Amino acid sequence: MIIRSVIFGVLISVGLAAVCSAQDSRNLLESKESLYNNIYVYEQPPYRSMTFGHNRRIYTESMYNTGDDKDLPVEYTRFMTASLMYAKDVHAILEIGFGGGRTSWYLHRFLPNVPVTSVELDPTVLELAKKYFGIRDEANFQVVNRDGRIFLTESKEHYDVILIDAYRGPFVPFHLLTKEFYQIVKDHLAEGGVVAQNVEPSTMLFDSAVKTINAVFPNIDFYRADGNIVTVAYSGPPRDAEDLAAVARERDRTFGLRYTLQEMLTQRRHIQIEGGKVIDANAKVLTDDFAPVEALKSIERHNRKLP
Amino acid sequence: MIAVSRTLSFTIYGCAFMVGGVLMGFEMLGSRYLFPYFGGGIGTWASLISTVLCALAIGYFAGSAIVNRHPSQRTIAVSILVAAAYLAFVPASADAVMSDILDRFGDGPSATLLASTALLLVPLTLLGTFSPIAVSILTRSADEAGRIAGLVYGVSTVGNVIGTLVTTFTLIPTIGSRAITYYFALTLACCAGILFLPTGGKNS
Repeated sequence: MIIRSVIFGVLISVGLAAVCSAQDSRNLLESKESLYNNIYVYEQPPYRSMTFGHNRRIYTESMYNTGDDKDLPVEYTRFMTASLMYAKDVHAILEIGFGGGRTSWYLHRFLPNVPVTSVELDPTVLELAKKYFGIRDEANFQVVNRDGRIFLTESKEHYDVILIDAYRGPFVPFHLLTKEFYQIVKDHLAEGGVVAQNVEPSTMLFDSAVKTINAVFPNIDFYRADGNIVTVAYSGPPRDAEDLAAVARERDRTFGLRYTLQEMLTQRRHIQIEGGKVIDANAKVLTDDFAPVEALKSIERHNRKLP
Repeated sequence: MIAVSRTLSFTIYGCAFMVGGVLMGFEMLGSRYLFPYFGGGIGTWASLISTVLCALAIGYFAGSAIVNRHPSQRTIAVSILVAAAYLAFVPASADAVMSDILDRFGDGPSATLLASTALLLVPLTLLGTFSPIAVSILTRSADEAGRIAGLVYGVSTVGNVIGTLVTTFTLIPTIGSRAITYYFALTLACCAGILFLPTGGKNS
């Protein structure tokens, strides 16, 4: 997950400030080399951040407000929860790509009776999330150390909401972006279930990802947050705004959500996928057979403004 | 002693290059076959790499044993042809085999090793027999053995490098993994075909 967020900007300015004052106010709590990444946990009270990578190529994975357990400082993670107003029921939630675990913890705190399961590939990320990001073992909150696709392939459960946020720094695991993968995701959705995914929109990988999701789910809504886009995809007939607003109103009240669904609904966007105006007409659906994610990621998007 | 004909050495070095290219190219492709089932972590890579090296070790040993009996062009041509046939069966059968392994053995080290073994061991072992036999065919006297061994392995390793890079940066981004596998099978079949042709000056 590449977050070019406000927070990232804050970190850069902190870095600049550090150069000026020759004193870094951002304190490195721990750095650890895992099987998959170099992971750094920084603190700049009251925030803690988990970043991957080296030197200038740093990608903030997660942000935690130590003074406020229910805060979601990274904007796009709030929009991941917009999926709550689409699901027919909310009986079970799955997250693929745990990171610092703040999104699933937020959901757990506001929906304590709904089982939230998170899948994270990197055991060191899990360890650091528990150590520094306020993640605790609690009823209805489960974290599994597993590859997301393997977990789903083997799982017999069904979920009302599936959140996918499995990018690791600059690397995109191709097997979590193919038509076959989304088919597995669809097979594990309960009736009226919904999939939310964080997609970085500056490269041609975005166009292919949207087409791939669309190859399995006929409806996709878009939410823009900082440099990221959250897609909410679902099967069945398209949902109209009034219908969503009614659900949003009811669930805002029932769960007492801090980032209200009603407010997020005002940010809902629709993108014309066919026609080639926004999404490149030549963008191909990614499959297990053909998924050149690295190559697509190296091509910048041009001339196709997102609404 | 009869000098090795130009045609023969050109054929052998050419095939050493192509076989080397397909060998590493297929290892890179192996990742595309395995990742959807076993994840894309360092464990999967370790399984792929160790399986390839195992296959080469077995292939070298087998090749050196064959050298003592009948180190002919025909022998390596048959090995390469069988490897080509194996590759040709991979695209249609890989998914069934991979999901069966995942069902039975999970996704741990034994499963990824088994999967990469099923995918790579047979064809790469067969290709591994190429170099020792090629050295034996090209060598006419004991004092040129080292020079020829160096040349054969050098050419084959350059093929490895080209195969790795072209597969990763050109083929995978432009055509699908299954199609690449068929092209590799075809390339090997062509090498085998050329080796079956009589080139003369085989034995001293």
